[in-house]
Amino acid sequence: MKEGFRQAMAWLHTWAGLIFGWLLFAIFLTGTLAYFKDEISHWMQPEIPARSVTSEASLTLAQQYLQQHAAGASRWLIDLPDAREPGLSVRWQQTPAKRGERGQFTEKRLDPQTGAEVQGRETRGGDFFYRFHFQLQMPYPWGRWLSTIAAMVMFVALISGIITHKKIFKDFFTFRPRKGQRSWLDGHNAVGVLVLPFHLMITYSSLVIFMAMVMPASILASYKGDVRVFYDEVFPAANTPEPAGKPGQLAAMAPLLEQARQLWSGGGVGRLTVNNPGDANATVVLFRDGADRVVHDFGSALTFNGVTGQLLDTTAQQPLPMAISGAFYGLHMGHFAGPVLRWLYFICGLAGTAMIGTGLVIWLGKRQLKHVKSAVMPFELRLVEVLNIASMSGLLLAVAAFFWANRLLPVDMAGRADWEVNGFFIVWGLSVLHAMARRGRAAWVDQLALAALLFCAVPLLNAMTTPYHLAVTLAQGDWAMAGFELTCLGSGVFLAWAAWKMQRSAHVRSVTRTPRGQSIALERGAH
Amino acid sequence: MLLGFLLCYGGFTALCLSMDRHHGELLGRKPSARRRQGMRISGWLLLALSLWTAVSAAGWGLGLVQWFAVLMLSGLLLVLLLPYRPRLALSLAGVSLLASPVAAFAQY
Repeated sequence: MKEGFRQAMAWLHTWAGLIFGWLLFAIFLTGTLAYFKDEISHWMQPEIPARSVTSEASLTLAQQYLQQHAAGASRWLIDLPDAREPGLSVRWQQTPAKRGERGQFTEKRLDPQTGAEVQGRETRGGDFFYRFHFQLQMPYPWGRWLSTIAAMVMFVALISGIITHKKIFKDFFTFRPRKGQRSWLDGHNAVGVLVLPFHLMITYSSLVIFMAMVMPASILASYKGDVRVFYDEVFPAANTPEPAGKPGQLAAMAPLLEQARQLWSGGGVGRLTVNNPGDANATVVLFRDGADRVVHDFGSALTFNGVTGQLLDTTAQQPLPMAISGAFYGLHMGHFAGPVLRWLYFICGLAGTAMIGTGLVIWLGKRQLKHVKSAVMPFELRLVEVLNIASMSGLLLAVAAFFWANRLLPVDMAGRADWEVNGFFIVWGLSVLHAMARRGRAAWVDQLALAALLFCAVPLLNAMTTPYHLAVTLAQGDWAMAGFELTCLGSGVFLAWAAWKMQRSAHVRSVTRTPRGQSIALERGAH
Repeated sequence: MLLGFLLCYGGFTALCLSMDRHHGELLGRKPSARRRQGMRISGWLLLALSLWTAVSAAGWGLGLVQWFAVLMLSGLLLVLLLPYRPRLALSLAGVSLLASPVAAFAQY
């Protein structure tokens, strides 16, 4: 009975993992990149300088700018720069022509040191990876649904994988390299088991994040089908006061930041909204940036009177269910993570990606063994092989192409941001064609080697196309920019090593053909 | 976080040495029953100690997150080092245990 159960779980793990493996690989890799989304955006918009100035100084500049350029607007929105996101961005909304209509928004980015407007090149930046990892470049809401289904399958694969893994404690520290298929299985188990807390957290929290979309029944039943009422109740809209119609002088907003810091015991302000800025009834709403704690607090805000600076309203303490969902949200996003912890998050994400990748390789490797002697592979195995190559090395090529497109497309080209994204998908599509045209191992070697070359050359490309090369950024201490290029270089070296390993093992295999002992050990080893 | 990492790495190495196969591979002989027991207990104690230092330094929320992060990464590092550089893996454990009082001194 017990063995039967384990075998059923092994079957589930094998097939759930295969069918969704390719998609999950892409979701995990782009999600991992999204942990550095601000740093990637910074590299992709090198014109926006990184400055370290206090929030107070930036806010004063933003206020001066808005008072000069948008005095008549009905609303200002100010995004303060932080250590990771260097740009100071201001938006304002024109007073709508008619009541109840939405006024038009204008957005400008300012240099937080001088207050001058800066124009970054048009790009989606790191936000592209972030969006792709849960929307999959599909129209709303299909991408979210597909990625949520993938997350459920991932959860099933994790649980069934734990049940299938017989010697979870005995093999806890086991990794035996250079043993062919055995090593792949060891590696799959090692990254699976050692990083299991992260895998479970990230998968479960992704389901919690979309729980209102996946399981709306409780909301629909309690609110008689009107979801809007639920959200209005959960997030009491920052009630916009009516303008008094009398002009008022907006007080300096910078001192409010210190007040917020005291009220939030150290929590910083990420964003401000100013309603009716030139009016006697102006209000200033400060939103918390959430970088100071793990539990994310949705919409925690303080409202001040803009003219007198008097505190009007604070949001209530988070209720427990919301704190729990906020904790999962916070853990998934890792907004609170400082540089070291962020790197650890990144490494864990890579481990998850590697777990999925090794799983796909094992599925194919096990079945390929039976066809070593025949010249042609059955169609279904060839299909899996092509999809494996395109979904792994092809995706890496596409990521590299996205970065290259950012530097190679003319800065003032129309529709530039879209063409960067198109470049990503064109290269990904080409990788499928290439994988179809070449034999398995040769395709792996080609694509990995090309990806290695592209990643290694990123610093060179940047030095040739912009004045912000590695020596400059290192000298300035712009670690986001320098770190991005060093990471590209590191990834390139790793991919070159992988390509070399792949090439060598192909060579060895063609000389000695798989020895019999190994395949027997394998049959035993693969559960 | 450094202290947590050092203790976790030391703890995992001790747990690893408490297993016959790994002890044999790393030190060339089977451990005695007492040694095995000692390694197991000290390994778990080191892991527990690292949890305590992480939580006392950063509070429950962030402390737990940091502890899990260093727990996973120290295990991963050890497992990747073992087959390629076994001597380095062992000496790193020694160094990390020796350095942990210094890290503790820096933390408190």
